[in-house]
Amino acid sequence: MNDRLKSLYQTVILTKAKDKKFVGQLESYTHSITAYNPLCGDKYELQIIVEDDVVKSLKYNGSGCSISKASTTVLCEKLEGCNAQQVLSGIAEFMEIVDSDASRNAEEITKNEELLAFAAAREFPERKSCADLSWKELQKQFNQLFPYHSKE
Amino acid sequence: MNIKSIKSEFPIFRQKTPAGTDLIYLDSASSTQKPQSVIDSITEFYSSHYANTGRASYWPATESTRQVEQVRKNVQQFIGAKSETEVVFTSGTTDSINKLANSIFNSDLWKGRQIIVSEMEHHANLVPWQIEAERHGLNLVAIPLLDSGELDLVAYKELLEKPTALVAITAISNVLGTINDVNKICRLAKAVGAITFVDAAQLAPYAGVNVEYLCCDFLSFSGHKLYGPTGIGVLYGKQDLLNQLPPFAFGGGMITEVDIEGSSFRDSPFRHEAGTLNIAGIIGLGAAIDFVEEVGFETIQSHEDELTIDLLNRLADIEGLKILGEQDRRGPLISFTIDGLHPHDLSTYLNESGICVRAGHHCAQPLMKKYQIPASTRVSFGVYNDMNDVEQFIKALKGAYEFFL
Ligand SMILES: Cc1ncc(COP(=O)(O)O)c(C=O)c1O
Repeated sequence: MNDRLKSLYQTVILTKAKDKKFVGQLESYTHSITAYNPLCGDKYELQIIVEDDVVKSLKYNGSGCSISKASTTVLCEKLEGCNAQQVLSGIAEFMEIVDSDASRNAEEITKNEELLAFAAAREFPERKSCADLSWKELQKQFNQLFPYHSKE
Repeated sequence: MNIKSIKSEFPIFRQKTPAGTDLIYLDSASSTQKPQSVIDSITEFYSSHYANTGRASYWPATESTRQVEQVRKNVQQFIGAKSETEVVFTSGTTDSINKLANSIFNSDLWKGRQIIVSEMEHHANLVPWQIEAERHGLNLVAIPLLDSGELDLVAYKELLEKPTALVAITAISNVLGTINDVNKICRLAKAVGAITFVDAAQLAPYAGVNVEYLCCDFLSFSGHKLYGPTGIGVLYGKQDLLNQLPPFAFGGGMITEVDIEGSSFRDSPFRHEAGTLNIAGIIGLGAAIDFVEEVGFETIQSHEDELTIDLLNRLADIEGLKILGEQDRRGPLISFTIDGLHPHDLSTYLNESGICVRAGHHCAQPLMKKYQIPASTRVSFGVYNDMNDVEQFIKALKGAYEFFL
């Protein structure tokens, strides 16, 4: 199989796409976010519990390709337990990793292998919207989650 | 023109893809590639006799006007219309439907009646009607699908028992490939006095169009799906209806008299063609019609049918693969889903072998909801495809199974 494909569909992505750890419904939650790409139909509902300005728990359900699924799993993994500031910088970091126009190499941004796997999206611009689907929606809804947090 | 060597008429296939492979283009239902003759006709027009049409008495305006009107006549013959005044140039099927819907339902005259579409419509043949229905107090209803992927004509007859203003139906589904019995659907509509519109975007490149046979009042297709350029399409309408309808747009070229206090308008087709036309597009469309007529629809259809049947048979053997629709009559396209393999992952994988297929909801969300799937993969054929394309596709598909599953 060719190397380009291998780089996009690294074991990390294929494994995370099948990882069910964060798939499901929370009994109760403080926020629900729907990440939807109308062009391709990928759609996830993220259920989140925010308490004392900290993301206590997340789950998601919905359907989409392995890249959007893996990225949503990784989002849950990385942001669970984070406070507002950490969520904000986590999102910014991820967005930079998948951004083909970013000035830094992905390796300069993070050493985390699970995040680095998504850097392949830089080579597949048509798949960037899969990679950052849930992250982007979370970014949009950030103020809803953390109303008292100023981005400054 | 020999169908076996027809690929050589399409310059795009002479190059390699960025992946270093031959281009295996299996997305003609979205848009077709262009033969050299179409490309040349546009270059020739811009290089040799370009000028605006209809407004000037100098050469080259006389020549470009003559060519546009010649294409109009060719379109008239191509679709079997009675007169070239029944041929209105638009920018495509979507544009045609929006303009038509807006013009027919320009008042509350039809209030309380219904517009009938079907569950398999492309968004282009659904949303414009939906919006007009909302604006003018009509009810929009859809002919349901049977499990086979065909329309439930019994249910359709029942729908027709209510006062119906218009029936808008696609001739071939761009997702299921179903070929609808448009003649019957239109005759039934006509019997209750409803206006009929046929979306022939997928029909035109596969079987050509005959408005007499289809028995419709209005019909549209797009140039770019018929080996022609983008940005050009045709709206056919019965002459008396086109002349009664309020103009689709207002401006230059469509008026008879203009005063500051008011204006009067020309008859069809000029009535509905305000502003400068897509002249190069029209000329390219003319070349595209020449091209398909030279190949011949009998040849095109039997060639594409052969590929479709071959692919259907091969897909039937693949585990976990489900084909949408099991209808008897199918146009040159197949949509399917695979357990555990998302269409976008598949299409990215295939792209690395130079294979272009379409993944997604194909602008037919109500249909996808009916099948309870968020997306599917679609393979569709054009004249330039051959058995080797099918073989390469199947080979790569098997590779994807190994890679992902
Ligand atoms: C059945 C059908 N109707 C309408 C359209 C819209 O055509 P266009 O995008 O050329 O306006 C398409 C294109 O995909 C189609 O397949």
